[in-house]
Order: sequence, then structure tokens, then C-alpha cells
Amino acid sequence: MITVSNLSYAYQKGNPVLIDIHLNIDQRSTAIIGQNGAGKTTFVKLLKGLLKPFEGEVFIQNQQVKNRTAAELAKIIGLVFQNPNDQIFKNKVLDEVMFGPLNMGIDKQQATENAMEALEMVGLHDKLDMNPHDLSLSEKKLLCIASVVAMDTNIIILDEPTIAQDYQGKETIKKVIKTLKEKNKLVMTIIHDMDFVAENFERTIVFNEGKVILDGDTRFVFAQKDILKSAHVEAPEITKLGEKLGYRKTFLTIEEFIDYKNQERNL
Amino acid sequence: MRSISLYTERNTVIHAMDPISKLFYILFALLIPIILPSIKVSIVCVVLGLIFLLVARVFKKTIPVFSFVFLILLTVIIIQGLFRPGNQTTLFHFGPFTLYKEGLMFAFGVAFRVINIVSAFMILILTTKPSDLVESLVRKGLSSKIGYVIISVFQIIPEMMSSMETITDAQRSRGMETEGNLQTRMKAFLPLLGPVILGSLANTKERAMALEVRGFNSKGPKTYLLEEKKYRYSKVVQWGILLGIACALAWRILV
Repeated sequence: MITVSNLSYAYQKGNPVLIDIHLNIDQRSTAIIGQNGAGKTTFVKLLKGLLKPFEGEVFIQNQQVKNRTAAELAKIIGLVFQNPNDQIFKNKVLDEVMFGPLNMGIDKQQATENAMEALEMVGLHDKLDMNPHDLSLSEKKLLCIASVVAMDTNIIILDEPTIAQDYQGKETIKKVIKTLKEKNKLVMTIIHDMDFVAENFERTIVFNEGKVILDGDTRFVFAQKDILKSAHVEAPEITKLGEKLGYRKTFLTIEEFIDYKNQERNL
Repeated sequence: MRSISLYTERNTVIHAMDPISKLFYILFALLIPIILPSIKVSIVCVVLGLIFLLVARVFKKTIPVFSFVFLILLTVIIIQGLFRPGNQTTLFHFGPFTLYKEGLMFAFGVAFRVINIVSAFMILILTTKPSDLVESLVRKGLSSKIGYVIISVFQIIPEMMSSMETITDAQRSRGMETEGNLQTRMKAFLPLLGPVILGSLANTKERAMALEVRGFNSKGPKTYLLEEKKYRYSKVVQWGILLGIACALAWRILV
């Protein structure tokens, strides 16, 4: 769905943030991980057309990003910002969610429908008339997710979705991601919460100092202990536990681990 | 973060000088041409100011400022040269207009004073960090609250500019056209104002609380985070400047 070739970017000359990135992103849900400053957000902004590449090309569904404005790209690729306060600018929850669909030229009735559906998904459908700024941080974040989901784009990128979320919030986001996957949408995320990556994303790409140093199935990626260490990334807790106990299998979720243990006992 | 301060980092004598001495120099540049209105004195002051700018190696940075000032001075020279009451001595004609010597000399007098004052301020602004200047004023007895207000202007404006950028990005991400012709950009600009201004107001409250938590209003004597920037000859410079002004006064009264 997304093809990136030879992509480089720098905010200041002589200080490159991304160096010669080649990636082919398919339908698999994908997590981008790496240390702060590794170039993850810059990479996503380039996909979204918010920044223009220095060198190299980005194609999204066969459209060249360079020749499109960010607003045009909004119809195929949605981005939830890390800080919800940057994204909220309407006085009512419902208006906020309808802003995107209306901009895309969807008629009002359809936009309302999309918005309601998205709000229901994140559990804010009973707060339609509230001022978004009166919501708690975690609710604001969910609202931002809803307002991008309502745009019904084929690609959705979540920048740090689990920030400020409690267990319940994380479960809600998991549900949203699952629903989007079922609708055949490509879900991507930038995230530091490795447990969340292991539980929800099929593919993981590790960025370090502007380069992709590891890319593959999440299970494969979290098994590469040494490379992860060099990128200053830790495997999920359950993966580390399994490894410390000496299992050869790489575990991604607690359920997996328990199942394995039960089977072992039964043998 | 971007900075709106014009301060330019260099390692020169002028940069090493303390901000108060530079303020004294501004006083000097303001007063001397008033005390001694002769155009020759103004020229000497201008040359002095330009030399200081060159020594501080910031002359290049002054070019945009000076070109703006020159634009205004040019209109002064034209208007005064052509139309000043008391114009008598014709210098030359072009078309229906006549340029007079008296008006021209007067305009040059004004021009030199302006350049003189501008360069004195440029010396201060280009070679002094705003925070250093404010801190030394606070040490001299300026209320620390006023000092904070001055410094915060230098922080808040770049902050507003970067939050404006982020919000534009967020709007573009959700399908609002912000690139293109003037009309599109104007249309995109208005909805920006709400979040930027509201956001800044909300930040103000948070900032006030953060300051209070760290004892901004405490009554006790305050210490400073940075060591005072000491310049070995600051007393000499300041007294020298005062002496210069006194001499000018004496000259004016006696001669």
C-alpha cells in the first residue's frame, strides 16, 4: 500500500533525521518503534505529506506523495497526533469528529453517521455536546482517534495512542484497532509501549538514528535481542520473562505463555 | 526552539562587555548629538557606532535593519530637501523640482542622529542575550516580575509560532486545504486563531501555577541561577561615558 524508496530528510542541513529509507508497507498492521529522536514521527509526517522529502519517493496506493497536498492525502491516510491538544479545535465533541469528513466533501448526513459510529467505537457517544477541552486527557486522545476513524481512510496512523490511557482505555483502543483491521484498513502506529505492540501489531519496524535497522514479523523482531539492544528498545515483559526462563519460543502475549505452560504440564 | 531574539553568538570584546555598559553607550549616543547639535559630532558618533558593530563582527546582521531605516530616511531627505520652509540655496533642479541646501543639511542631520541611535541599540541587541540584559537589570533593582514579563515575551512568541505550525498540520491532516492561493490561505488562517489564542491563554494559567509552585512570589531575597557576567573594565567604560557626556555639556555651556 505504501512504497518508500531512497527516502532522506533533514530539518537542518548536515543533520539528517532520516537516511536512505527503503520500505514496502503492506496490509499487515505495523508498529514503528525506536528511541526518541530516531526519526519515527518525521517518517510518518513524510508519509502524510506534511513534510516534503529531500530525496527519494513515497508512493501511497500508487499516488506520488510529493505531488499532492496534505489535504488531498487526507482522503487516503489519516494521522492521529500525539498531543490531542494540537488537534482539537471545535467546541463540541460531535463537531470535532465531523470536521474531517466534512472537509473531505462527505455530505452532512453521512458525516454524522460516520461520526456517531466512530464515537460509539471509543465510548464517547454520550458526550456529543460537551466541549472537548473539558474532557480528560485520555478521553481527548480517544476523541482524536474517533475524529480520524470517522474519515474512513484506508490507512490510519496512530502516534502514541496509549499515552495517558488506563487499562480500560487501552482495551478500547485495542478494540478500535481490531475493528479497523476487520474492515481491511492498514493500521500503523508509533509507540513506546512494547506490550501493546506485541498484542496488536503483526509487523514491527525498528528505527535507529534515522535508519531502519530491523523489520519483520513482530515475533521475529522481538526475538532479535542484540539488535533491539543496540536500538535501545526493550522486548515486551512477557517476551523477556520467557527468554529468562530459557524457553526457545518467543512469547508475545500473556495468554500465549499460559497456554504454552498448560500444554507443557499436560505432556 | 526558534528564537525571536536577534542575539548573535560571537566571541568578541563587545560581547564580553556587561549589558549595563552597553545601556550607558545608548545613553551616550542619544545625548551627545542633542548636547552638541553640530553635524560633525553626529558623524563622529555614527563612525564610532559602526566601528563597534564591526568589532563585534555583527555588521552583516544590521544590514536588514539599516536598509529599512534608510528607506524611511530617504523619504525624509527628499521631503526636507524639496519642501523645507526656509529653503533658499538651490543645489540643482530636476524637472519641476528643486533641491535646496538648507533642507538637505537638516535632513542629513536627522539621518545621522537616527543612524547613530539605531546602531547604538543594535550593539546592545545583537551582542546581548535578552535574558542576560534582563537579569542584570533585575540585579540593579528592576522588579523581578517585570523582568519575567520581558523575558517571557521572548519565549511565548516562538512558542505560539510553533504551536501554530502544529495546529496547521493537524488541520491539513484532516483535509483542510491550507496551501495554494491567497484566498485558500486566508480561509485556513482564521480557524487557526481560536486554538492558538485559547491554547496560549490556557498555557498562561498553567505557567502561573508552575511559577507559583516554584516560589515566584516568595518574599525572601532571591539568588540567581547564572553567575553575574562581569566585565573587568565596566566601571571604567561607564565612568568614561559619563565623563564624556559631562565634557560635552561643559563644551556646550562654555564655548
